Amino acid sequence: MVIDHAWRGLGPGLESLSGPGGAPLTRTVKLIVLPLIVRPALRPELAVDFLGPERAARLDALIRESAPRLAATARWFTLLKKARRALGVVAGNPQDLYFQRCFELATEHGAPSVGAEAVARAVVEEVADAGGGRTVEALRGHLADTGRCARLDAELAVAWESRPTVPASGVSAAVTLAAEVLDACAAPGDSPAYASMVDAGHGGVFGRALWTHANEIWGAEEPPAHLGLTARRVPSRPEVGRGASTATLPAPLDRTLFERLFVVLQSSARREELPTVPELVEREVGRSCAPLGLYDESLRVVVVLGGRLAVGLDPLGTGEPAPGRTAAHRAVNSRWRREASVLRARRMTVSPHPDPDGGPLEALARDLRTPWAAYMRRLWVRLHGRDVRDAPLADLASAWAVLDGVARSVMMDHRARVRSALRALSATPAAAVEPTEPRSA
Amino acid sequence: MAGAGTDVRVTRGEDGTIRVAAGPVLGHIEVCDDVAAAGPDFTRSVLDVAGAVLVWPVLGESGLPVAEIHDAGRAQQWLWAVYGERVAAAVHDAAAGEPAGAHVMTETSALAGAAARLGYGHWAARWWPASYPDGIPVLEPDVLGLEFAALTHRCQQLFDDYGDQPDDCVAELIEEHRSALAPLLQWWRATPQPADTARHLDSVLRLIDDAADCAGLDGTALRRLRSALDEGPDHGRTVTPAGPAALFARQVGYALAAGDPLVAGGRVIARGSGTNDWRRYPPGFIDAAEHAVSWTARALGARRQIEVEVVAHVAAPTTGAPLAAEVRVNGSRPLRVPLGRRDDVWTGRADVDLTPDPSAATSAPPRIEVGVLLPGFDPGAGPEARADRDAIRALARRRLAGAAQPVADDVYDGVAGPFLAETLAATATSEDY
Repeated sequence: MVIDHAWRGLGPGLESLSGPGGAPLTRTVKLIVLPLIVRPALRPELAVDFLGPERAARLDALIRESAPRLAATARWFTLLKKARRALGVVAGNPQDLYFQRCFELATEHGAPSVGAEAVARAVVEEVADAGGGRTVEALRGHLADTGRCARLDAELAVAWESRPTVPASGVSAAVTLAAEVLDACAAPGDSPAYASMVDAGHGGVFGRALWTHANEIWGAEEPPAHLGLTARRVPSRPEVGRGASTATLPAPLDRTLFERLFVVLQSSARREELPTVPELVEREVGRSCAPLGLYDESLRVVVVLGGRLAVGLDPLGTGEPAPGRTAAHRAVNSRWRREASVLRARRMTVSPHPDPDGGPLEALARDLRTPWAAYMRRLWVRLHGRDVRDAPLADLASAWAVLDGVARSVMMDHRARVRSALRALSATPAAAVEPTEPRSA
Repeated sequence: MAGAGTDVRVTRGEDGTIRVAAGPVLGHIEVCDDVAAAGPDFTRSVLDVAGAVLVWPVLGESGLPVAEIHDAGRAQQWLWAVYGERVAAAVHDAAAGEPAGAHVMTETSALAGAAARLGYGHWAARWWPASYPDGIPVLEPDVLGLEFAALTHRCQQLFDDYGDQPDDCVAELIEEHRSALAPLLQWWRATPQPADTARHLDSVLRLIDDAADCAGLDGTALRRLRSALDEGPDHGRTVTPAGPAALFARQVGYALAAGDPLVAGGRVIARGSGTNDWRRYPPGFIDAAEHAVSWTARALGARRQIEVEVVAHVAAPTTGAPLAAEVRVNGSRPLRVPLGRRDDVWTGRADVDLTPDPSAATSAPPRIEVGVLLPGFDPGAGPEARADRDAIRALARRRLAGAAQPVADDVYDGVAGPFLAETLAATATSEDY
């Protein structure tokens, strides 16, 4: 609010960084004002929700001091958007892509002057090109070489054969500890149980158990031990692969090397942080033969935590008591209840009970009755993305942020799928449905 | 419209959810969990925002929303702008563990009105009671969609980028509904009357242009919009010959679909109306009128047959929707009857057992209850809600009557101002829909 007042006090010239009401855009605050002007690392006392009058005055002064630079930033942003249109670039959100660059340009050059158009064009091109050849096309090209593919295939065979084949013990201990960790989630402070799971290699234990067809890990026949991470009884050796399509990706542990890296390269965020394509491929050989298809133990432990969480989810709000629900379950299930209420208010429901006439909506409802599959699929992709970037989850707070974020994504996926199923029903008249014989429902 | 000086209560629930609600009316009732207390689903509008869900009643006073805050930190970015600084502080304290609820007075709020308007728009897109027999025209979905885009942009402070707010979808809305841009521009050039409509249309188009620019969207329709706004409406001014509704004229009216011929013969033994529970099927398939569902029971020799007819929504697809009727005789297990399309009705029939209820008086006619639903969508029959449906119809009529009148400009800051789609619907004659 202090930021809002100070911002409005800066006067005209900031339109391209402001919303229609004159307030700064959400991203202006998040990407420019906080990190580049307030700089909480230098001034932690200003990085709180509520400021006393003295601190508020300091924040206000900081923003006012930056007025000329912000005005220049706004003009650079307008210029970059113009250059982007001229170059026909449409990928990505321009605020995300250019805000910080514009602030840098304003710091370096002040307001745009002679030659600014050329600078703007260069920046837009540079940003568009930031992936540095880390693209799906490059991957396709790299794996088009049949000799290389044969070598990779042989390496995969060796790596797969040399996996430890001793049946893993300690899975139930891992699952018990996971419940303890999940009870500490969503609360401030770290849990020593998380660190001890990582130290004890409980993620690797679980991953090896999946190779040997463990039973009843989650307390009963249903859900299966692998929670949909593979469609097979046990995962088989990964292939190299030559193609992929988002719509038909198999279960995570059944994916080819190509498919695993395709997903990583497809998400455009921070591609410049990735290893180069040849390096990505080399490392994926070993990774795909590691427990759970992940190298880092903390990420594997988060798979166990996610599994323990996923088996207690109740997206349909049946309220059926499930044993061993934890604080994390309560947090996620209460979000599902909220979501269900919003979906009812938006007339986007799916029947809570199985309905053989339900068509595509019934398929969505079925997914909600086995929520672990969608959850684990999403979670694995996110953890794999971190593994590829060497980004372990060092403490419980960051692990919970991932677990919770995946729960949110699964919910958003569901809503998007209901929306598109309903749209398909009302838009494209499919083949006429012949009225069939009535029967009891 | 409630605004400055409303008394709100800030309370913290057992699960950590913090609720901000005006007055003591709702007390401790959970809006999310207690449907009966909050009224049927179609009587409230909702908005997913950063760290919270906002809920307004659609009927009655549209004031400040009830906020169910699940992440108080994220909600701080908009709480002060919707409810005022004191409420934001009370939420902060509640999140920090202040035990008891607090009463706080709200302050003047610019964002609350726009948020309520956006919430209402989302409601209207799903529950507007379009009906041919009731004379309530359809709202043009693309025009509604573009006005949402403008409003969503106007409300940008409510959203952050955690990816859990599907309502923050300016880019998707503009892409999906861009076909309405050209006719809206034509309408704008024709300088609509009254003047407040012209100003409102102008502000919506400028917001869309700004929103598209912010989101980095591009395309022919958007470039035309940009250059038209730069040049002003006088450039290339046109006169719309047949009123603005003609600009959006689309294939309505009932496409004739082949269906089973009417049952010839048989002796009619009973007729009646069923229940048209809007909650049991998605919008756009069935006319919202109370008596849209009707049934006829016939005797054909020893057979007893029931035929169900459901008036189709004027824009309903002619095929492909596997709607079904649900028939109960004397409270029996429901019999599901698939419906097919014939002219302007969905219809189906089935043999039924009309043996009198043994527990009833011997002469009592069988009790027949008929409902309509979309399998897979149907959340199940809800409590009787006819009075609420009537109230919604009255609301729609009131808004259409209001949209035909000149209004003050400031109504567009809240729910009261007509949406462009409502203005269009109000100007359409009965021939047009």
